[in-house]
Amino acid sequence: MILSVAKRELFRLTSRPLYLFSMILAPLFAYIFFTTLMDEGLPNDLPIGVVDEDNTAVTRQLIRNLDAFQQSKIMEQYSNFAEARKAMQQGKIYAVYYIPQGTTQLALASKQPTISFYTSASFLIPASLEYRDMKMMSEYASGAITRSTLYAKGYTESQAMAMLQPIKMEMHAINNPSLNYSIYLSNSLLPAILSLLILQVTIFSIYSELKEETSKEWLAITNNDIYLAIFGKLLPQFMVWILMGFAYLVLLYGYLHFPLHSGLLPMVILMVTLVVVSQAFAVFLCGAVPSLRWALSLATLWGVLSIPISGFSFPKMAFPPALQGISYLFPMRYYFLIYVDQALNGRSFGYTWVYYALLCAFLLLPIVVMRRLKKFLLEYHYQI
Amino acid sequence: MKWFLNILDVWRNELVRVLKDEGVLVFFFIVPLLYPLLYAYLYNNEAVKEVPAITIDNCKTSLSREFLRNVDASADIKIIAHCADMQEAQELIREHKAYCLIYVPAEFQKNLLEGKQSVVELYSDMSGLLYYKAVLSSCTEVSLSMNQDIKSQRLVGATKEQAETFAYPIKYKYVPMFNTQSGFATFLIPAVLIMIIQQTLVLGIGMLMGDEEEKRRKGIAIDHLQDKKPLTILLGKTGVYMCVYAIVTAYLVCVIPHLFGLIHIWQWQEMIAFLFPYVLACIFFSIIISTFAKDRESFIVLFVFMSIPMLFMTGISWPSSSIPAVWKALSYAFPSTFGVNGFVRITEMGALLEDVRPELIGLWIQTAIFFIIAWILYRNEYKK
Repeated sequence: MILSVAKRELFRLTSRPLYLFSMILAPLFAYIFFTTLMDEGLPNDLPIGVVDEDNTAVTRQLIRNLDAFQQSKIMEQYSNFAEARKAMQQGKIYAVYYIPQGTTQLALASKQPTISFYTSASFLIPASLEYRDMKMMSEYASGAITRSTLYAKGYTESQAMAMLQPIKMEMHAINNPSLNYSIYLSNSLLPAILSLLILQVTIFSIYSELKEETSKEWLAITNNDIYLAIFGKLLPQFMVWILMGFAYLVLLYGYLHFPLHSGLLPMVILMVTLVVVSQAFAVFLCGAVPSLRWALSLATLWGVLSIPISGFSFPKMAFPPALQGISYLFPMRYYFLIYVDQALNGRSFGYTWVYYALLCAFLLLPIVVMRRLKKFLLEYHYQI
Repeated sequence: MKWFLNILDVWRNELVRVLKDEGVLVFFFIVPLLYPLLYAYLYNNEAVKEVPAITIDNCKTSLSREFLRNVDASADIKIIAHCADMQEAQELIREHKAYCLIYVPAEFQKNLLEGKQSVVELYSDMSGLLYYKAVLSSCTEVSLSMNQDIKSQRLVGATKEQAETFAYPIKYKYVPMFNTQSGFATFLIPAVLIMIIQQTLVLGIGMLMGDEEEKRRKGIAIDHLQDKKPLTILLGKTGVYMCVYAIVTAYLVCVIPHLFGLIHIWQWQEMIAFLFPYVLACIFFSIIISTFAKDRESFIVLFVFMSIPMLFMTGISWPSSSIPAVWKALSYAFPSTFGVNGFVRITEMGALLEDVRPELIGLWIQTAIFFIIAWILYRNEYKK
């Protein structure tokens, strides 16, 4: 019986381009889009504007050095700060490096001139990367002068460094040393998009039976056993989603070699769990909100909110307390936490099982609404 | 006058149709009303404060304690425990009790007293980039200020000012502009607001068109669309959407930033001159896409996931200077690309209309092209 429902569903899936698009093309597009978009890992050659009022050999060298940084590129030199600010407002540059007149002369006379740099953090990522480069450049600028004085006084290199920077920070980014943005965004955005599509397609496919007035025929195949009917219907979809999920795993961990400290198996298990949980949650929404429109709107809200709520870009600890609690209602939150523990950090399963347990609780949700859903599928007449 | 009365007739009846359609009202009013509230509330704290960190202090001297105390006092980091060894520290990080580790080596103070360099090692969990930023920036700040004191002690006989000038022959100053706190809400919410206008228009207009398709298939006539010229229908409908979105846009642009204290330094003339073509381009864009609708709901499944790639195509997050050419070319097909870029600069960076001229021209070109395509498609759709 399950098989005949599954066969019927397979026919339905192939009869509408909507399913081809949303189950195969849409996820593939998202995979390719995000991984090629952030291919560089960190954005390179971000445009910086320079105002060099001093224009001496020393300052010109300084500007050339700044240009040589990987993340920064001197876009243009402006004759005054107002022009540079204008260029910022026109979106041509994200930052300005300003060297006032007399800088070289004052520095040579030990009168400590001040150079300054400006960023526009309305564009957060480029601003923070350029800030880093400009700050390092400014440290170097001073350091170079002091170092030559110290060498002249007979200091060795390590003595000079100790003099310049007695306490030094050494940063270790655990398991993502290059701060690769794609590792950090693709790993959470792509499963979130997949989960959103699963929620939407599952609900759409169940309720389209109502709209096309075929729901009775569908349930009749299993003698009105709603569990078998749903199971048979979602089985072919499950196969497609799993295929798309595996394509994702192969792309990220096989082809792009993103950190996978857990081995592949835990991520396969996690992906299968995400697919099943998303399907189950969609069935629950179908039963809880018996209206295609409202169930679909709710699923969409859930799916889209999953992205900020899972907390990979803006961490959960910074949410308002009321929303910290709500995060437990989103399967993607658990996916993210398990991914971090397993693939990114390779921690043992002992740290993760609680999340799995909570995820599996989502699997029980449909049971609550199955009878209601059945009644609805058998009795409701769709009206425009 | 006849043609004008016809347009007015379409306008009046379409407006009634919109207001009576529960599903469309969700997209035209409820989503734009609630979604930004939720999003802005979520990011309302702007930045992550008091990231839980742990320390290993192998030095245990007055200097190492001073360093850690100062770090703890900074806004971004909160030291929750002092660990005896690496094992204990790793365990706390694995349990997500702490996200950063500050490791002070045994010879920290000894090195400093002997005039050598001391290295403090920082480790950050990479499940969120903001943890990395928090620990690195607070520890660096603390080290720079402690370095100043140490340097003046090392230069025997020098005053603090002399030591300062020696260490920093050129001083530097960092000035963050516009989004001065590097706040997350300030960075993301304006883009989300503009995105919402486009996406809800596509979904709402798609649903209205799907509704017409469904009725046509069932032989139900929509009276006010009968015997009207395609252009009349197009203009009448555009008038309806324009009226609705005048209200929606005013709410998004005025009320939301005001409620959440986001930067909004625009002049109303600039804003209207920019957002008018944006909304118009979005309307024609939506009308074009809506002609593919076969039923009321399929657009939700087909289009919502695109919001995320589209948001990234605007360059608000991943900088546009690093977007591959293919995606950049594709991004010009969406009003949101010009809309987000222009809006962010007008509202947060005080850009004038002349500063967003490329975006403004882009929007008007889109409006013209989309209008012509929409008209052609409507001629097929509503041929007698």
